[in-house]
Amino acid sequence: MFCRNQTARATVARGSALEMEIRRGKFRKSVFLDTSQDSDIQKKIDHEIRMRDGACKLLAACSQRDQALEAAKSLQTCSTRIMAYMSELQRMKEAQVMQNIPRRSSDAGPMDGRLPCKGKVAISDLRIPLMWKDTEYFKNKGELHRCAVFCLLQLGGEIFDTDMVIVDRTLTDICFDNTIIFSEASPGFQLRVELYSCCSEDDYSAGSTPRKLASKLSSSLGRSAGKKLRAAMEPGPCSPVSNGGAAPLLLPVPSVPGPKYHLLAHTTLSLSHVQDSFRTHDLTISGNEECSYWLPLYGSVCCRLAAQPHCMTQQMMSGCLKVKQCGGDRQSWTKVYAVLKGASLSCYHRQEDVEANVEPAFTIGINKETRIRASEKDPHSKVQNICISNQYGGEEVTHTLTADSREDTHRWMEAFWQHFYDMSQWKQCCDDVMKIELPSPRKPAPLTPKQGSLYHEMVIESSDNLSTVSDILARRMQELELRSQLGTSSPWMSVFEENSTKSAGFRHQCTSHLSGHSPCTPHRLTRSPMSPHRCPQLGLLSSDASLTSDSDSHCSTSPCSHHHGWPEPSSNFSLSSSSPSRLRPRTLSLDAKLSTLRGRGYGGGGTFQCSCQPPPSSLLAPLPISSCSPRSQRSTQTTLSCSSSTSSNSSSNSEGSHSPESSEGAPFSRPSPARRSLRNLRARLDPRNWLQSQV
Amino acid sequence: MSFIPGQPVTAVVQRIEIQKLRQGANLILGFSIGGGIDQDPGQNPFSEDKTDKGIYVTRVSPGGPAEAADLRMGDKIMQVNGWDMTMVTHDQARKKLTKKGEDVVRLLVTRKSLEQVVKQSMCNYPRP
Repeated sequence: MFCRNQTARATVARGSALEMEIRRGKFRKSVFLDTSQDSDIQKKIDHEIRMRDGACKLLAACSQRDQALEAAKSLQTCSTRIMAYMSELQRMKEAQVMQNIPRRSSDAGPMDGRLPCKGKVAISDLRIPLMWKDTEYFKNKGELHRCAVFCLLQLGGEIFDTDMVIVDRTLTDICFDNTIIFSEASPGFQLRVELYSCCSEDDYSAGSTPRKLASKLSSSLGRSAGKKLRAAMEPGPCSPVSNGGAAPLLLPVPSVPGPKYHLLAHTTLSLSHVQDSFRTHDLTISGNEECSYWLPLYGSVCCRLAAQPHCMTQQMMSGCLKVKQCGGDRQSWTKVYAVLKGASLSCYHRQEDVEANVEPAFTIGINKETRIRASEKDPHSKVQNICISNQYGGEEVTHTLTADSREDTHRWMEAFWQHFYDMSQWKQCCDDVMKIELPSPRKPAPLTPKQGSLYHEMVIESSDNLSTVSDILARRMQELELRSQLGTSSPWMSVFEENSTKSAGFRHQCTSHLSGHSPCTPHRLTRSPMSPHRCPQLGLLSSDASLTSDSDSHCSTSPCSHHHGWPEPSSNFSLSSSSPSRLRPRTLSLDAKLSTLRGRGYGGGGTFQCSCQPPPSSLLAPLPISSCSPRSQRSTQTTLSCSSSTSSNSSSNSEGSHSPESSEGAPFSRPSPARRSLRNLRARLDPRNWLQSQV
Repeated sequence: MSFIPGQPVTAVVQRIEIQKLRQGANLILGFSIGGGIDQDPGQNPFSEDKTDKGIYVTRVSPGGPAEAADLRMGDKIMQVNGWDMTMVTHDQARKKLTKKGEDVVRLLVTRKSLEQVVKQSMCNYPRP
């Protein structure tokens, strides 16, 4: 009648006053039962219902597609959680009812009533490969078929969802980076992985379109569009009945307009799938090609499923023991503080050593091959000895331990048996402690540029190779450049009208800043006024009939002044180069450093071109500038534009534009062919540089 | 000036003959080109159709041979000395222009204004 594992326990004697009171309804019997579990679940259900209401409201209110998808995802998660809690509540109520029926002993639970210890189960790095048809992949017309997907993971009573991922034909796998940890899992766990997806194309407002209208629309539109529309508007045969069927306890799920997720695939993982490395498991796919939420899944899911049973990570038993010395006289015993954890019994000299993380005096291995038995009563101490035998290599080593009292001995034996039972239940998880990484606090996802070509994600390992680093910086600058907003009219533009003396003075100021590798703020300040400075000068440039444009185009070859290459009269275009002010300080100082290095590297070149990739010091040097001194006004422009753009940028573009170097009248000289070809190659590899070559 | 794959490209072109100028060891033409099938066409400021991967003149050095031959910025180069330039990489185009043995390059270029001129002239003289 009494089950060991039943925590809720109360019997009310018949005919007692309490029973009368209960009958009169004054007290509920449940008050005396241990309702903490019940109320826990009830609280959870209430919480989830509140979350669900919130998600419904959010879904009804939000206008953007992304928000709607996220809200629908949380709605789905909340609904699933509510269902799970409801069913658990149901089960508990049933168990209570069963418990009142007197039980026979044969109905008792597993043998000895021994339960294996619980453990932590973690699933991470979920990856679901996709198998797009090549026709789908290469078709350029039409919109991308996109779906929003996420995974729902359920173990026991815990349900977690992963982040939402938008999938279209440019992805080859669906990857979920989350690590999900379930804390209390028994060895017989069933981890259900479900993949939900929702079509994320145009605004097909689901659910509320009447059937007639839906069929009319679908028949009047083109075949494929109509099919999609129809599939989106009515769930049809594709989606499973997600509302839990006929469970009477369930509250009706509110039907909300907006995106609705459908189950696309599912699988169940258990202890046999646990391994310390990645494994591939099969997926059961529901739905077919006709569904709007369809994705061509390859049919498997890869993930890392790890488990840490508590017997491996926690102290199962600890206490004072006496260990018989192996050699020497038979009666010498060493007092130790023993801790049973994992696959060993660690014996410390003192209890404090455990907290101090001192190495144990010695360790006795406890694993599947260990044999522990209680020997006969020692005639002297009347306490049974515990003998632990292990096989090390060929020989058998036995340790003999004694506890202080019989109860202690009993407790230790009990602990050992429990430990063996746990290890037999958790099987491969007890061979070694599997590493479970705690999910780190989420870092904001890095901003990816709109164009999703692979080049944009390519990171060239930066060695000491200057040009590589400068390329990366150039690209970054260009990225910022392209993102900048046009037409920002700066009030200080008027300051930099044509006055060359002013600009010369300014040049000194800014170069002095640059040469000092100064803190970035002044650098940035000097930069921002400089770039619009170029803009009014552009007018001068284009009207200047001399070789200004040549030289300028050489030097001001940064992406900012990229547009200089096409000196457009429209000021809008040229104003777009005002963005360098937005650069991060780190880049600026790095650029300044690079410019010095590059200047040193090119020092021997002695060409005009090289001097325009300014080491700030060389700007002040009279020699390189003297070559452009006859065009002093323009030189200030050049120096300014050069110093405002970094040498790194100029180099990357100079790769393209300078490769077949030629000049009209100015003493240009080609850089060495080897360097040129290397730069050419790199410039060509970067599709963001729209190459221009001089012929 | 865009093309439909599989259909022949038609354009109104102007013939431009540029005599290369010798400068030391180099022969220069005095203009810069941009574009090519290996380049990103979206960044071309001169093309009407942003998917056009042709070779465009991005700059003409004043006083150079190209300017003297009436090459203009924004021109699309269709042929160089008989070599097609509508479907070449950037480097191929550059190489065709800078061949050491050749003193002169004959280009076929097209520009928007040419088309307009032809259209206008056709309007003014309607065919019977």
